[in-house]
Amino acid sequence: MGLAYESFLLGRRAFLRWARVPGNWLSTLFFPLIQLVLFSQLFKDIIQLPGFEESSYLAYLAPGQIVFAVFLGVSWVGINLLMDYHSGYLDKLRVTPINHLSILFGEMVPLFFTAALMGGVILVTSIVLGASLVTGIAGALGILALSGLFAIAWAGTSFVPALLTKNEQAAGTLSLLFFPLAFMSTAFVPAERMPEWLQVVNNWNPISYVIEAQRGLMSTGFDPEAMGKALIATAILFVITQAATIWAFRRLTTA
Amino acid sequence: MTTTVTGPRIDVPAGGSAGTPVIEVVDLVKVYKGGTRAVDEISFSVGEGEFFGFLGPNGAGKTTTIRILATLLLPTSGAARVAGIDVLAHPGEVRKQVGFAMQTVAVDPLATGRENLELIGRLRRVPGPELKARIDELLVLMKLTESQKKIVGTYSGGMKRRLDLASALLHRPRVLFLDEPTEGLDPQSRMALWEELESVNGSGTTMFLTTHYMEEADRLCKRIAIVDEGKIVVEGTPAELKRTVGTDVVELQLEADGPDELERQRVGITQMLDGYEPVAEIKPSPSGVQLYVANAAAAIPELVRRLDGNGVRIGALTMHQPSLDDVFLRYTGKTIREEQANVHFSGWY
Repeated sequence: MGLAYESFLLGRRAFLRWARVPGNWLSTLFFPLIQLVLFSQLFKDIIQLPGFEESSYLAYLAPGQIVFAVFLGVSWVGINLLMDYHSGYLDKLRVTPINHLSILFGEMVPLFFTAALMGGVILVTSIVLGASLVTGIAGALGILALSGLFAIAWAGTSFVPALLTKNEQAAGTLSLLFFPLAFMSTAFVPAERMPEWLQVVNNWNPISYVIEAQRGLMSTGFDPEAMGKALIATAILFVITQAATIWAFRRLTTA
Repeated sequence: MTTTVTGPRIDVPAGGSAGTPVIEVVDLVKVYKGGTRAVDEISFSVGEGEFFGFLGPNGAGKTTTIRILATLLLPTSGAARVAGIDVLAHPGEVRKQVGFAMQTVAVDPLATGRENLELIGRLRRVPGPELKARIDELLVLMKLTESQKKIVGTYSGGMKRRLDLASALLHRPRVLFLDEPTEGLDPQSRMALWEELESVNGSGTTMFLTTHYMEEADRLCKRIAIVDEGKIVVEGTPAELKRTVGTDVVELQLEADGPDELERQRVGITQMLDGYEPVAEIKPSPSGVQLYVANAAAAIPELVRRLDGNGVRIGALTMHQPSLDDVFLRYTGKTIREEQANVHFSGWY
């Protein structure tokens, strides 16, 4: 009970900190928006190749850009805890009689909502530009929920190096792994259009599973198998990165 | 309880550590990775309601000690109890009893002053209605009522300090730890904060302060320990410590019609005080003489009586005790100020 209440209080603080400086996250949305608009024009005709089932390349591209937005939302997020560490605020919290894990959860839990909001901006933009959303509101909520879970799972890649090195500049080093993974995923072309070795790599790429589930919800309808695979892939990533983050956090905060 | 200190210990009469100690530290040692011996067998105790201070240069081990007591750091060896609770065995219980205002002001710059206090108050489980009243009360005490709805990033350094202090007081702690509470403040804000700290102590809170400012320790602390290189060098009330330096200074300003007459009076004074034991030394000053007198307060009536006559005309008589600077110099052989150039890092990891 205590942990949940304390995480809620600290999570609200983190959410307000995010909401009060909208320039920070609004500006990061430019990158996926530009990719969405520009690539959908640049590679317009690619949709005619076999393997694409969508009505337009924009519709194909949209889910990948939602995940890009989520990634950008969390790629440097470990920096917040480090700023509290260097300012002494973390110590101030540690002197209060709370469960110390709530300090970490208070940073993590709001990411579900902030990332879902950022992914939502891309989703709405895609629909305005002509992409479909065949599963309606329920499907949209599914897309946002997946975005939120993936956000927390990926956030660990920023927290771990940040907490281990106590250096703000390290907060974005490991999370950049997203770029090669995303470019090797089905964000831009379907698996069957990839060279064979990339198809093998793709089978192990969690980002592809998230994108495929979201694409299904936008273009073809509810697909329990795709959703299940996305949840399992996210869960595996989640457990690994969160376990490492909790370990790094304890290392930082143990007296 | 008896304490073992490394160095001379001055026994403290009433108002000292008599009664139940709220802070008890026995043989505390902290050796950091890399071998820095930041705290080297420190022992002391602080009584209920006392205002106790650690005075020493940066790097003396003050912050390390206070961080151990506030449960932020584990000692290498030794024992510490705060409010009767073992700091190592039950840190969570200690945290309920203490407040800690750290050297670096820790406030959330993207929240308002009031939000800062509300968050800490709720984390400390101060019940809703009581919290609201307590916040209002502390905002008044810290003179922040006007700016409570402003984002803290816009506050001045002094305002942030006062907000930080307020957040350490929300739960009415039994013990308040203050690590260099006025570091980086302008003289006016420092004086204001001193008054606030005195009023907090006046309401019964036991205070443990660290500082490298002599004036601060002198003004606030009823009892101080001078620390240097991880050890307590000497402990006592500021007045007692200053008395150990030896003499007080009595300054006599003389009324004279010219340099010759002034010199004649000086010679007269020297003759009249010849053989008067409390006066250890007589030195000329620009407008009179300076007398170094043991226990001047007691000696002054006799002193003045002896100076009656012989053409001596005293315009003004002032006396002052030696400063804590002199005390520090006597026990460590160096001044705090020259030490400050040699700050070494003592992190907590």
